[in-house]
Amino acid sequence: MFRYVVRRLLYMIPVAVGISIISFITMYAAGDPINIIRLGRATVDKATLDAIRAYYGLDKPIPIQYLNWLSNILQLNFGKSLYGGISVNLVIGNWLWETVKLQLAAIFLALAISIPIGIYSARKQYSKLDVTVTSVSLFGVSMPTFWLGVILIIIFSYNLGLLPSEGAYGGTKIWWGHPFLDAVAHLIMPTAVLVYVSLAQNIRLIRANMLEVLRSDYILAARASGLKERTIIYKYALRNAISPVVTYLGIALGAIIAGAPMTEYVFNWPGLGRRFVEATTRLDFPVVMGITMIITVMTLIANLVVDIIYVYIDPRIRIR
Amino acid sequence: MSLNQKETSKKQEVKRRSASQWAVAWRRFKRNKVGVFGLIIVIAVFLVGVFGDFFTSYPARPNPDAYLPFYKGDVRKPPSWLENWPKQILNWTYPFGTSAIGTDVYSDMIHGTKYTLYVGVVVTLITMALAIIIGSISGFYGGWVDNILMRITEIFLVFPSLLFILVFVRIFTLTVGDPFWTIPIINLQIPAGLTIVTVVLAIFNWASNARMVRGEFLRVRELEFIEAEKALGASNTRIIFRHVLPNILSSIIVVSSLTIAYAILIEAAVSFLGFGDVNTTTWGQLLQENFADVRVVWWAEFFPGLAILFTVFGFNLLGDGLSDAFNPRLRD
Amino acid sequence: MEDTILSIEGLKTYFFTEAGVVKAVDGITFNLKGGESLGLVGESGSGKTMTALSVLRIVPKPGKIIEGKIIYNGTNLLDKTEKEMLQIRGREIAIIFQDPSASLNPVYTIETQLGDVIRAHENITKKEATDRIIKLLELVGLPEAETRMREYPHQFSGGMKQRVAIARALACEPKLLFADEPTTNLDVTIQAQMLELLNELKKKFGTSLVMITHDMGIIAKLTTRVVVLYAGRVCEIAKTDVLFERPKHPYTEALLAAVPRLDMKKTLQVIPGNIPNLIEPPSGCRFHPRCNYATKECEEEIPILEEIEPGHFVACHHWRDIKLKGEKEHLG
Repeated sequence: MFRYVVRRLLYMIPVAVGISIISFITMYAAGDPINIIRLGRATVDKATLDAIRAYYGLDKPIPIQYLNWLSNILQLNFGKSLYGGISVNLVIGNWLWETVKLQLAAIFLALAISIPIGIYSARKQYSKLDVTVTSVSLFGVSMPTFWLGVILIIIFSYNLGLLPSEGAYGGTKIWWGHPFLDAVAHLIMPTAVLVYVSLAQNIRLIRANMLEVLRSDYILAARASGLKERTIIYKYALRNAISPVVTYLGIALGAIIAGAPMTEYVFNWPGLGRRFVEATTRLDFPVVMGITMIITVMTLIANLVVDIIYVYIDPRIRIR
Repeated sequence: MSLNQKETSKKQEVKRRSASQWAVAWRRFKRNKVGVFGLIIVIAVFLVGVFGDFFTSYPARPNPDAYLPFYKGDVRKPPSWLENWPKQILNWTYPFGTSAIGTDVYSDMIHGTKYTLYVGVVVTLITMALAIIIGSISGFYGGWVDNILMRITEIFLVFPSLLFILVFVRIFTLTVGDPFWTIPIINLQIPAGLTIVTVVLAIFNWASNARMVRGEFLRVRELEFIEAEKALGASNTRIIFRHVLPNILSSIIVVSSLTIAYAILIEAAVSFLGFGDVNTTTWGQLLQENFADVRVVWWAEFFPGLAILFTVFGFNLLGDGLSDAFNPRLRD
Repeated sequence: MEDTILSIEGLKTYFFTEAGVVKAVDGITFNLKGGESLGLVGESGSGKTMTALSVLRIVPKPGKIIEGKIIYNGTNLLDKTEKEMLQIRGREIAIIFQDPSASLNPVYTIETQLGDVIRAHENITKKEATDRIIKLLELVGLPEAETRMREYPHQFSGGMKQRVAIARALACEPKLLFADEPTTNLDVTIQAQMLELLNELKKKFGTSLVMITHDMGIIAKLTTRVVVLYAGRVCEIAKTDVLFERPKHPYTEALLAAVPRLDMKKTLQVIPGNIPNLIEPPSGCRFHPRCNYATKECEEEIPILEEIEPGHFVACHHWRDIKLKGEKEHLG
């Protein structure tokens, strides 16, 4: 097991490096970033441009730039933003936290709700609840997340004024009296959006798997041995049915940092996702590269974690 | 003669219902109300995409007539039947209201249908073509070929796709000049920006489908009749094309429908974030344009989104229905 | 030894599916005496497995027991509550399934699975349970029980898995054991061992055994009495040697004739026709379309099970009139 983990970690390195190279090259495919930034601004004279270029080290040949960037990254120095020269390091931690906060809340809630419903739906197949659940979840999977967010904002913020329409924290107005409650109030709608869509996905997965498992011979044999229904469902069936949920966990963990940019954009949430969109729009390379690398590494680690959980759940995979 | 002999000859006269795999699946599909509903939705959307342009009051952008409501002073008007509720309930001048820039939302949506479908279908075609080729080669030859192809696939799977899609789209759209490209022989105009989005989406989507195809290939390859064919001396190409592919076809069809659904959603997301093609009016694009003013023109956000929802829903239902029809999950 | 412990009367178990009502068990009547080995013979679809599942009342949906009585130890099992049935299953009546790879839960150790069964019925400590498990595994011939019980099913061979399944079934020393084709999935060489084991254990615990199979060889070797089923109904019941010597039902005769033997000079007889459609079964006697002796009466009237000599029951209109081909030819 230990060797497996080490092997995987080592394997991650070339992949991460490969992705960084590809991203780096891509960034330059559109041309000189300084020129692009200049688009839409008043004409700047060449000397200033050159000075800016030198400041950011963009005058050196590309491979050198890459190596510089790489060595910086390895020292956890993400460089300076091309807009205002803010050190990316300073802000990236904050963005990371905001995104993680949101995603963890969503994943937790989603699992807590979807597993029981999925199980119940499978057990009482074709019951009214099951049919409702199936259709509603199919609906949910078809919904554009951001649209749902917009609708919620329209209803709950603009019309009813119950919830804040954007941001993670109130600015001039502290919602619900206390700063902590204020943060919670801001969390509600974005979390609800994330939860709803992944709920839909999960319930369908669990239900489908559960249905299959419940038809298996070993469940029939367990019944024939006189085990209680509760034991059969929660001990015998669930562990076999849970693997797609683990897959979801993996994707979700990876998405934690990818930051559900849609939801963050709609709710103006100060997380990695939104910043990435902004940076990409403005071609702010250091920020884009920095966030990309973080997300890539987190995705790889998440995949590894998921694989480890898999092995724990299903002993058949253990023997290699 | 004894009774059973009479019966057998009678049976031989009775005509048999077609037992081909497709006929059986079609019959099963017809019984699946949900799947049929999905099919209806999909057909309706296609009809709107192809013929809808003739049924709108205003032409498509960038035709200046599209902005007529603006010149009439009807900017940001709510749906006509909603205004002065319930008195004007039969007024359908602006069924979905007007947008922040003064266009008729309904017309925009109808004109945008074909773009949305364009993305959905083309992404799926490219994705499935890549997935089938790579998945089949990988699944069929195995060994080091399989290994290399699967590593490549994995790399594509690991890419945080939305991020890269945004980056790639941004880069490539910046380098593009004209809003429209013309395909030479058939002289068809396709929107440049949108096509870039489409190609990029396909690049980041084929990987998971390729895995699925490979999985299916492996499954069918293990079936005994393939061994039998080999033993009879059939060539590899013949085995792939005449025996394996037809068996995989059903999964491919199902996944295609679901891929179209997914592509439409992602395109909407990409457009919404502002990376779409400004010259087209895909529904995602409409959502983007009106987002800033959503407080005032909520209908311009609501209805295009609803259209996306229903279209994607339709394709998902269709995919589910087909999946059930081909592989009945033995509910009985 | 002579007292009846299980009496099934007019059992009907139907499956209410989308395609129609499948009459899997359509009026089965037979009984089982204490300590005996009863064979339950028939083709696939004859209702043998469903009968066993009906007794345990674990018929999977959409199946339902709609009629009949199942009298065990004086009480009708169909009248019992689910809670009461929990005490019957595994403790009084148990079952072994055909595919040991499928009937053991892949994600839990042998120890856990056996332990769960024991502790579901008896209030003993973990340590006591563990000791019991070790003894049980040794009893079924599993070497190194103490270490191996902590392993997972996939780490055992087919034969060993089936032994584990047997251990699980006998864990609480049930009085009645159903063995549903326990050797069909095993290597021929292991089959004999398994049957031997079953026989020993049966004698040791005094368990009554119902051997469900389609293999006449196993019937001959292991059982003292046989019930022949076809399409959900009983055809014939007799002591084993009587059945082999003078079968009185055309189906039984056909079954016996289909068993290849080294001393046969004639060609193997195949039973003509197809397995009956259980949704729209043949009218009257279910076997009539494939029966060489069938007449109009067979098509119209369901034959009743009659006792033609002590302990020998047949459900056929023509058992008396037909001179079955060479009754004596079936002997050695």
